[in-house]
Amino acid sequence: MRELSLHILDLLENAQRARASVIAVTVEIDEAADRLRVVIEDNGTGLKVAPEDATNPFYTTKAGKRTGLGLSLFRAAAEQTGGGLTIGKSGLGPVGVRVAVELGLSHVDRSPLGDLAGTLAGVVCTNPEIDYVIAVRCGMQECRVRTSELGADAFRTAQAVQELVGRALGAAAVPL
Amino acid sequence: MTTRKITSLADLADVQADARKAIDLRSGTKDLRITVHMGTCGIAAGARDVLTALMAELGRAGTTNVSLQQTGCAGLCDQEPMLTLTDPGGRSFRYGRLTKHKVGEIVRDHVLRGQPVNEYLIKA
Repeated sequence: MRELSLHILDLLENAQRARASVIAVTVEIDEAADRLRVVIEDNGTGLKVAPEDATNPFYTTKAGKRTGLGLSLFRAAAEQTGGGLTIGKSGLGPVGVRVAVELGLSHVDRSPLGDLAGTLAGVVCTNPEIDYVIAVRCGMQECRVRTSELGADAFRTAQAVQELVGRALGAAAVPL
Repeated sequence: MTTRKITSLADLADVQADARKAIDLRSGTKDLRITVHMGTCGIAAGARDVLTALMAELGRAGTTNVSLQQTGCAGLCDQEPMLTLTDPGGRSFRYGRLTKHKVGEIVRDHVLRGQPVNEYLIKA
């Protein structure tokens, strides 16, 4: 994957496939600690396997497939920057999943964040039945959006998400 | 989000029409359904850019009879990025190896004129 936002999109697709009705996405640019953190949580049907199997590229729960690359690719992208990926339980639901990823912000091998605002807008637009709780922290700038509070018009909700996330990320003092 | 001052019934009707147009794009009860395949393979091949282009093209066209959705891998990874267009008769048309340019043609010819773009269809 050429952008971190594509890894995030992939994990969001996993959460949607787990029939989640609430999905929380948090992206934090911590320049002081030189870290980029991503946390994705859902209240879906949960992992059918142990966390270590979930990041095995040759393991998948999808019928007709022999590989499950999403989590393993994100883990590799994190580890090559001195970070990592952990899978745990989310408080959003009884068997919800929480995936936390940490990357070295200024590490030379870190992939660019890419078009996170456009990515989240696309996801919000095509899944209006899901309540997305989005938080982006970048220095002193912070944006928090809960799509269920933005009204029934999903297209305008997507536009609002794109604008707010874009504005928060615009505060970064380092290249993202 | 922008707000608009409503001072007359005509203003209210305009707001209602705009909202209906925006909602139509995503409700599942419309004549045409476009599903973008967003599995890992699709995303790596450019599915997000296809989705972004579709949203822009459909918004520009002002069409009100299309619902836009996303789903996972369809098992044809070498054809990604791909989309499935389902018409009012329930017929499915699967387009593969898409680009923004191809998306523009599909919206113009198939969505707006009802003419499938055979050149981009995945051959069985």
